[in-house]
Amino acid sequence: MDDILVQGFLLGGVYALVALGFILVFKSSGVLNLAHGEMIAILAYFLYQLLAIWGLPAWLGILVAIPTGALLGVLIDRLAVRPLLGQPFLSVLMMTLMVSFLLRGVRYLVWGADSFTLPFTPRGQWDIGPVNVIPATAISFVAAMLIFVALLLLFRYTKVGLSMRVVAADHEVAQSLGIRVKRVFSISWAMGGALAAVCGVLMGMVYTVTPVLGQTVLGAGLPVLLLGGLTSMPGAVVGGLIIGLVQALGSYYRPGGVDVGEIMSWVVMLVILLIRPYGLFGEKRIERI
Amino acid sequence: MLPSGVFNRRPQQDMAIVRTRAQWLLLAAGLVFLFTLSLYMSEVWVNWLITVGIYAVAALGMHIMTGLCGQFSMGQSAFMALGAYTAAILGSRYGLSPWVSLPLSGLVAGLGGLIFGIPALRIKGFYLVLTTIAAQFVIMWFIKQFDYTGATYGLTLPAITIGGSALDYTQFWWLTLGIVVVMLFFTKNIQRTTTGRKFVAVRDNDLAAEVMGINLFRTKLLAFFIGCFFAGIAGWLWAHYLLRITPDLFTFDLSLWFLAMVIIGGMGSTSGAVMGAVAIMAVDKAVPSLSDVVQRAFPSLGFQIPFALGLILFAVLVMFFLLIEPKGLYYRLERIKLYYRLNPFAY
Repeated sequence: MDDILVQGFLLGGVYALVALGFILVFKSSGVLNLAHGEMIAILAYFLYQLLAIWGLPAWLGILVAIPTGALLGVLIDRLAVRPLLGQPFLSVLMMTLMVSFLLRGVRYLVWGADSFTLPFTPRGQWDIGPVNVIPATAISFVAAMLIFVALLLLFRYTKVGLSMRVVAADHEVAQSLGIRVKRVFSISWAMGGALAAVCGVLMGMVYTVTPVLGQTVLGAGLPVLLLGGLTSMPGAVVGGLIIGLVQALGSYYRPGGVDVGEIMSWVVMLVILLIRPYGLFGEKRIERI
Repeated sequence: MLPSGVFNRRPQQDMAIVRTRAQWLLLAAGLVFLFTLSLYMSEVWVNWLITVGIYAVAALGMHIMTGLCGQFSMGQSAFMALGAYTAAILGSRYGLSPWVSLPLSGLVAGLGGLIFGIPALRIKGFYLVLTTIAAQFVIMWFIKQFDYTGATYGLTLPAITIGGSALDYTQFWWLTLGIVVVMLFFTKNIQRTTTGRKFVAVRDNDLAAEVMGINLFRTKLLAFFIGCFFAGIAGWLWAHYLLRITPDLFTFDLSLWFLAMVIIGGMGSTSGAVMGAVAIMAVDKAVPSLSDVVQRAFPSLGFQIPFALGLILFAVLVMFFLLIEPKGLYYRLERIKLYYRLNPFAY
């Protein structure tokens, strides 16, 4: 039982990292990047290509994958999303979904339907005090928390972070203050892409890299995002931990003899949408009728 | 816009779906052409036409929900599944006649739409889209979970019989076309009624609509009900066409196809939804032959070329329309018609 709870908790940290990728882009540009899941998947496959097929050492592979992710983010922003600036939200949402289709198609074309484990995935179990943890999940959790703290510091203390916060608050005000809004968009997309690469590494360790990784990630990330509120970074972490625990408990107790872990996150999301659409920590800016 | 010198002198003229005698003749000729199409086309193409017809019905539902009332949904295929499974369960477990299960399929899907449409009163924009995405996964999960609904293996159902023999593909095309025509007429007609105008008012500005005395809750739910009813009918057709349904048929991707059909055809136009269905299915039809070419050009890509190409082409098509032609095929067609009508003048 303890193991289950701890495992769920640790997995929640990784979900939070996925949700942070959504938030980074959403906060500044107001685009819900539904291609994030596929970005993570294609970067995980790219990393596999670097390591297993081209034979790069693990650290170098990760170092190459992260800037590639940033580049991918910037490209998506410039080529697909920015031309739709000012269009109705459905166009933008559909565009990010189509980007995810495109990425998935390219991925199937290049790597087929193979699934594999990343070569540096640690094996076995670690005994930490009274509980056993799976090392990949534990490492991912620590990495996720480190990145979360780093992002918090970035938003709090650096000039880039400050400009991103201003852009998030109001595009026109930001522009009149001399902030280059478009460049901030690019930066936040680049950061989102880099985060997707990191997620690809971590998710590839936690789950095996399979063709459905993108959808798995999206299914985990969206409920977390909504639970925490669309714009709040601490919200994403709290939401991630809650969803991780709920999933673990759902798989453990099996009410009615079925494994409800997979569906619990969607149900939580529906409930949240019904009773508190702006999430636990979000701004109450939702349009009401 | 009407040609020069032609005016609507009576309200009935303005409301008419088919305006002139020439249009009546063209319509009749077109219908006769479509009905006889299955007699001289090869079986492969008739099967393609049947699929287009089925998808067009679901896309029409999408058009009422999204194009007219502005309630975006990314869960249309799950509601289609509700209809299809209703037909399969009633047909195979209770031996009900397909003609009885036809309205029931629509009703069940519509009721499902009502349940997931209730949040639409409180939330809009992409919160609503996310609700429908969640609906898609929750519905399909429940269908996959229980033996009663055939779990992951799916259900088989008896074919529609007329006079003791099952429908062959020619007769099934007639059935499909009949349903498409009825649904098309219903959709066209609803736009001239109070309900349709309420839908449009809610889409354009729901606050103003409410101030004018339109019951938002009822209108939005009605839009969901009708849209999902159409999906249920499409599901009924699909189930009786395939005779065996599995949960893998009703994917999230399919829901996006329906949304894409409405976008490509042009938001808010009835014929656009059908055009979108034809366009997307045409691209889908071109995939196998194209993938052969790619296969021959790049023999090293031995993997899943048809599947991957299908995804890529679909994505590129929708991206093209979003970026270059956001108003859709219908708008372009209208421009072309206008050009010839006004020729040689510019306007």
